[in-house]
Amino acid sequence: MYNSVAEIVATAQERKLPIWELMLEQEIQYSRSSRTEVWNKMKRQLDVMKAAAKRGTTGDGVFSPTGLTGGEAAKMRKYRESGQGLTDETVLYAIENSLATNEVNAAMGLICATPTAGSSGTIPGVLFALEKKRALTEDQMIAFLFCASAFGMVTANNAMIAGATGGCQAEVGSASGMAAAAAVEICGGTPLQAAEGFAMALSNLLGLVCDPVAGLVEIPCVKRNVVGSVNALAAADMALAGLENKIPADEVILAMKRIGKRLPAQLRETGLGGLAATPTGTKMKMKIFGQELDLNI
Amino acid sequence: MSGGNYKSVFDIIGPVMVGPSSSHTAGAVAIGQAAHKIFGEKLKKVTIDYYESFAKTHQGHGTDYAIIAGVLGMETDDLRVPRAVEIAQKQGIEVIFNEHEGTSPINHPNTAIITLENDTKKIKVSGCSIGGGTIEIRDLEVEGCHFTPLGPLPIMLCWTGGNDPVDIKAHLSHDNIQIRKESALSQAGGRYIHELDLDRMPHPKVLDQIKAVSSGLICL
Repeated sequence: MYNSVAEIVATAQERKLPIWELMLEQEIQYSRSSRTEVWNKMKRQLDVMKAAAKRGTTGDGVFSPTGLTGGEAAKMRKYRESGQGLTDETVLYAIENSLATNEVNAAMGLICATPTAGSSGTIPGVLFALEKKRALTEDQMIAFLFCASAFGMVTANNAMIAGATGGCQAEVGSASGMAAAAAVEICGGTPLQAAEGFAMALSNLLGLVCDPVAGLVEIPCVKRNVVGSVNALAAADMALAGLENKIPADEVILAMKRIGKRLPAQLRETGLGGLAATPTGTKMKMKIFGQELDLNI
Repeated sequence: MSGGNYKSVFDIIGPVMVGPSSSHTAGAVAIGQAAHKIFGEKLKKVTIDYYESFAKTHQGHGTDYAIIAGVLGMETDDLRVPRAVEIAQKQGIEVIFNEHEGTSPINHPNTAIITLENDTKKIKVSGCSIGGGTIEIRDLEVEGCHFTPLGPLPIMLCWTGGNDPVDIKAHLSHDNIQIRKESALSQAGGRYIHELDLDRMPHPKVLDQIKAVSSGLICL
């Protein structure tokens, strides 16, 4: 198992293999399965992601049982189709698929956690935007997910990926870094450029708090995945252009961990601080759960 | 990084699950499944004790139905997960949820302690959900024996007639499995329960060999 991003990059350089190949190899060894079995299992994860994104963007979209979120991915699709978007098709497509996945998640539909359910839209947003932009094949998309998992695993083992322990930086931040790295590799960047993409994307989201209204994975989670996706595309473009983060990826992961530990409990998925504690957020919670609340938090 | 909790790429790109939260929903299913595997009998009563983030947000995140789904033996991607509490009650199982104000007895913000019982058996499983659907089990009470595993899965429980499971350890060693911690507690009738923290899941064939030399085996 790889202990650090530096080790992954060094191994990829030394063996002249892409990062996705190293992770596929590791999984074959860990799970004692064949290459085909592991590959097909990742294909099933991809199929779930595709189905969720499709479900969220088809017709009027999906709605959560609380009514707090839903239907906005479908609105974005219509807006993109109108040709009036300020950004280009790739960014609009990333926004749309990111929203769609998280709306399906909030509606208690079937999703693939990447790395978590709360951050499940970030990676599909980037992946399906690149599928269009670069006409990715299914095999390339599966390779993208193996590469993303390398960075996610190091982050999860050396820091954290749960909002309750590290805030949203640990969820959408990690997902954004993973997506940036995989985007760089699949678009022809070197292993070092992939690591720089990861480092830039995660650095940009350090300190992001987890403050879900009513403790639900809806507001602001659904739209925060959009920032994860768009930030990943920007970081991938910067890395492919040869920009560097200056602070190495592994040090960024440890910075994230230290920040996470210093975040107060109110800002770590308790639904007690940030947007959850605003007058409107509090009203939403009371409407849904009908509880008397302590407003002095 | 043999101590890392996340060992498979599918811990990161996965699990495939019914939303909305991997720690509060998928992880809760996994803690419930651990209790389900250990109990292994017809259930009469389930008590869930929540701490910290779980205590504050279990309703919003669907933790209640998720943990009961696991207790009933469902997988994270089972579409019946959101209806699990109802399903348990229809089976005549009493379901109780308690929210606690204090800090977690196992020192993690996403803590759930599951007590399962019927007229003759009672077990207690203290689990925490560490993110992305991955869990740790940090405290176990089984048939009157109290264990404190390191946390990360896989955790193996086996029942034998001796206090040193030489055969079992030989099978594990042959499969290149590292035992990170082990403890054995005696029961009435000269039986022992062994709790072993492993670095990875043994091969199915090895599990069969261990079954053959023990009177009970549960692998979480």
